[in-house]
Amino acid sequence: MKSPYHQRRLLQGFAAMLSVAAALPASAADDAPDFGWTTRFVGEGHELRRDSPFAAGLDLTSFGRDRYRIEQELRGRAGPVSLLLTATESGQEGAKPAGRFVVNEAYADFSVGGERFTVGKKVLSGDVGYAFRPIDVLQRESRMQMMPPQLEGIPMLSWDNFSTDGAWSLVIANPGHQRRGEAREDGSVAVKLYRRVASADFHGVLRNSKRYGLEAGAAASVVPGDALELHASLLVQRRGERRLPLSDTASIGALLNADGALVTETIASPRKVLLGGTWTTEGGFSMLGEFWWDGTAPAAADWQRLKRQAAQRAALLGVPGVPAAAVAGATAASMRMFDQGNLAQRGMLTRLAWADPGGRWSASADMLKSLGDGGWTLTTAVGWQGEKLRIDAGLRRYGGPADSAYRLLPERAAAFVGLSLAY
Amino acid sequence: MFKRFFLLALASVSLAAAAADDGKVKSLLKQADVYRLAMESGRVETEVRTFKAGVPDKTRLYAVYLKPGRRSLVLFRTPSERGQKMLMLGDDYWLMMPSSQRPLRITAMQKLLGEASTGDVATMTWGEDYDGQQVGEETIDGVPCLKLDLVGQRKGVSYPRIVLYLAKKGHHPVQAELYVASDKLAKLARFKLGDVDGRKQVTVMTLIDHLQKDRSTEVHYLSRTDKTLSDDYFNPAFLVRADVTQ
Repeated sequence: MKSPYHQRRLLQGFAAMLSVAAALPASAADDAPDFGWTTRFVGEGHELRRDSPFAAGLDLTSFGRDRYRIEQELRGRAGPVSLLLTATESGQEGAKPAGRFVVNEAYADFSVGGERFTVGKKVLSGDVGYAFRPIDVLQRESRMQMMPPQLEGIPMLSWDNFSTDGAWSLVIANPGHQRRGEAREDGSVAVKLYRRVASADFHGVLRNSKRYGLEAGAAASVVPGDALELHASLLVQRRGERRLPLSDTASIGALLNADGALVTETIASPRKVLLGGTWTTEGGFSMLGEFWWDGTAPAAADWQRLKRQAAQRAALLGVPGVPAAAVAGATAASMRMFDQGNLAQRGMLTRLAWADPGGRWSASADMLKSLGDGGWTLTTAVGWQGEKLRIDAGLRRYGGPADSAYRLLPERAAAFVGLSLAY
Repeated sequence: MFKRFFLLALASVSLAAAAADDGKVKSLLKQADVYRLAMESGRVETEVRTFKAGVPDKTRLYAVYLKPGRRSLVLFRTPSERGQKMLMLGDDYWLMMPSSQRPLRITAMQKLLGEASTGDVATMTWGEDYDGQQVGEETIDGVPCLKLDLVGQRKGVSYPRIVLYLAKKGHHPVQAELYVASDKLAKLARFKLGDVDGRKQVTVMTLIDHLQKDRSTEVHYLSRTDKTLSDDYFNPAFLVRADVTQ
């Protein structure tokens, strides 16, 4: 969490950059300001696993506590400056409502001497897949969240060049940063490449950062027929990281140390691969299938070790001289292993979706399965789109063998409903 | 001998007539296209009104930039769709959703889904995509018409076959039967002409859906301007830039 001082400095920096950029000529000069407003309500209900091995620490985490979120979103553009601002009130069980204002995006696109530039804070998503995106090395978007909030951009400066069938970009992300708490906050330099050849798109990325060193990735999306799309993505990193439980020989003292409940392991030259495709029918049905390998995700044995250690900590409850608070704190801290982007080293997503040809109704069912430990999440959702109002509702359930990652989550099921009104 | 010569002559005359008919149809299509889009490149503001059982259902706004070479960029302008963009380069299509800011390559089938198929909005000409022959004459709503049976000349067209009725006088479009790949009649299009800057132009295209019986769509062409964009804007990688939002 940044201090108010740092936030103020950040905002001042953006304001300065944007005011300079606003004085530069926009690429399409005569467009009038265009802004839209959206009000969004998301309600959630969660069924926790009170018999979870992590029950002792559950009250110290935010698992299953989210109850609602009310968002006001302003999105639009004036001259070369684009803005996405959100003000959110969120409610958690047992806590007072909290407010948050976020400048999700504030950037300017402009041209100087025929070259195109972007400066500011911008969402930099990349890659061709859905369940897992190996070459999304800048934005590092969280995947498969239920009714996720708007993405928050990254402070950046880019120089872009476009030809008829290709493009390249030089991107400086988080300028001035070295290594920060999260990978997406790290300073980095990246080159992005794009090439179109017949019915195929090819993407390439090279990124250098203090944390991972050099990362090189490539992706392709091909449309071989009217109904079929195939995609693939590959990333090779100089080094990777993952959070793992302590070793099986950890002492009781180590098990009760909340600050050291997990260790960060550095992996040499990990690889990430995704293969997938989409099939769409004339009747509005589509089927998505994806398989992936993520060399930086914990293995099935790591989840089993996490479960064993949770049981070891729980067994210490009531032991003379062992404070219950220490057990709860260390257990809660160990649950940060679930915060990693990918819980499954080998995974599969199948998604069956239907869209009403009239554009009103949509429905989907997603099965995300870990092929290493057999854990799964099943999400079903329906949506209705009106003139201005959109309504979404859905259910998610987690399951699998008792020591699989998704089954270890201290949550059994969740339900959500979302309403958004656009002006 | 004489019989063989006669047959050869007859075949030559038939071939010449077919070639002439082919050229005539192309010429007719070009004339008809002028009533829909008089310039080669430009921007068309479009309002799409959908009806269910005759009752207004939804209204959608689009700004469509067109360039020669079957290139079009569709900007979604309705509040609930603001920020979406669709790029069409010949038979290739990309969609960008504002929530993720990454252009996704989509299939022809995905392009057809959704309301009022964006292809109906973004395709403003027949001359580049269709060829065929005149198969008769009919009177449609009191207007004597030439009846043309057209076949798509590339795989990505929204409708592989169109039966088009052009007014005998002026060759403006009056009605079109739009067929999908299975040769089912998907939609019946009717064209309404209006006076735009002193010139007769199609101002409304009404699409009566034959696959979903109670649905119809009106595509209103609100304005046509000769505002053009540079080639960069028709590069899929450019979609993430906000240089054009409306």
